[in-house]
Amino acid sequence: MEAKGSSSYDYKLILATTAVLGIISVICVAAMFYFKAAAIHELPAAAQWAYMNTMNGIMAPFIIALILLLGICVPKRLLPERWLNRFTVALLAAALVTFLAVGGHPALLLILFASLALQLVVLGMALAGSASLNFESKNYWVRLGSSLVHLGLILFVLDLYFHNYHTLHLVLFWVTTGAVVLGMLFCFYAEQVAGLVRRYWPARG
Amino acid sequence: MENLISAVETYSQGGALLMPLLLLCALLLTVTGLGNLLAPRPFMPRWSGRLLQLTAVLMLLGFLGMIWFHWQIAQHAVLELPEQLAAMLNQQLEAMNRGATYGIPLYDPQSPPRYLIPPWIEYQRYYFWFFCFALMALLVHRRLDNQRFRGSLYLLLAAQLVVLYVWADPFREPLPRFFAEITPWFTAPSAWEQLGMFMQLYPRLEFYYTASYMWFHPPLLFISYACITIFFAVSLLMLIRRELEVERVGYDYAKFGYFLLTLGMLLGYPWALKAWGPNWWWDPKVSSSIMLWAIFSTYLHTRIYANKKGMWYFSAALGLLCFVAMIFTFVASYIFPGEHSL
Repeated sequence: MEAKGSSSYDYKLILATTAVLGIISVICVAAMFYFKAAAIHELPAAAQWAYMNTMNGIMAPFIIALILLLGICVPKRLLPERWLNRFTVALLAAALVTFLAVGGHPALLLILFASLALQLVVLGMALAGSASLNFESKNYWVRLGSSLVHLGLILFVLDLYFHNYHTLHLVLFWVTTGAVVLGMLFCFYAEQVAGLVRRYWPARG
Repeated sequence: MENLISAVETYSQGGALLMPLLLLCALLLTVTGLGNLLAPRPFMPRWSGRLLQLTAVLMLLGFLGMIWFHWQIAQHAVLELPEQLAAMLNQQLEAMNRGATYGIPLYDPQSPPRYLIPPWIEYQRYYFWFFCFALMALLVHRRLDNQRFRGSLYLLLAAQLVVLYVWADPFREPLPRFFAEITPWFTAPSAWEQLGMFMQLYPRLEFYYTASYMWFHPPLLFISYACITIFFAVSLLMLIRRELEVERVGYDYAKFGYFLLTLGMLLGYPWALKAWGPNWWWDPKVSSSIMLWAIFSTYLHTRIYANKKGMWYFSAALGLLCFVAMIFTFVASYIFPGEHSL
């Protein structure tokens, strides 16, 4: 547990993330009751797809917000704070222009690919043990785990776009699962992982 | 069928002995739980610990009984057809598999399909979930000597045992849905009748009862539910007093529960694609699972700042909300329609 000033940028990010996750929860509950009231399960396949697309449309802005907030955590580790805000605004502006020009899906894809590219850079740096990343924790495994979890979340949302490409969809899904599972293990059990690595691979530990 | 009936009778008789004992444990746990919550000093600490151990041992015996029962089912519930029907059956299966993303294995007369089912279906899922909680309560009991926390764990376990006894006894009428499905197979007057039934039973056997995901998706979620229940007890205590040791135990279980919940949910995804096809996204169960995961995520985020003014209580409130969301998610299968409804 940390004790920080309320003006802390990270603290505000946490509160914003909490708010977005809260809104996502409320939308999910509303969707459940709507599903039951409208008896979606009894409708023909086309109507079910329409419902799913509507739900995706309602959820998309909040997924974008969540990805952006996580995305802020990504460049936060690469850039100083003054550049961070500029980067976020630039990414949001680019997404907005894309949305107005060609629609919501490409805008979300732009954000996802930008976040994915950044996250891969961060993951590479975390893997290399770079000291220039601004992580909360100095622990190598926590840094690596955090990078993997964020990468997994971005990949999962990206993977939903490829549900029509059966093989790619499943391959990407298992990559996502691997990243999230490993990331959580590294994050939550960093000391135990470090102990295991020290035991079997002393040079790395 | 005779062997199956005999196994059901033995299993039910064992349960008829076990369940009243567990109810008695629940009553005693209630007494000791209230005692520890209300008394100024630890209430019969050694005796309470022994009672918790006894409850866990009894539940373990019940679970071993379930494993034995499922082994009997695997031995005797076999979809066996005369060899001369195999070729015709396989033609039908090949026709079914044509164009399907996920095909069903062809019928092999040398190794006919059998019901090797994990011990967490129907009412057994409650038993498994509560058994996991009993084991965790025992671990926490040994790890932390905290009177109020122990008391709350006793009460939660007692409540779960009462739920088992009154509403979800897995021994009283074992696997009613499963037996309702397969009994006609054994009472069918001819092999031709069985052939028709086979085409109904076999896909469900492959995609549900003996699906490989059945061994991972449900148990991971039930273990995570047990973790959330521990963490619920911690959250209640956090609202009453600031005890860092208790909070740390709660956080450890929250981390473990979150990891299992995430993994369990993810492993449900390819299973859903296989069993239901692509039209299930935003199904009520999926929505409720995302809701639970999102609330759990908020707890883990806010917990980082639990030392800040007000955040301790906000974090605790999220812990309680997480428990409510878990119950809601579990119950959603019963009250909301959709692919996952029971």
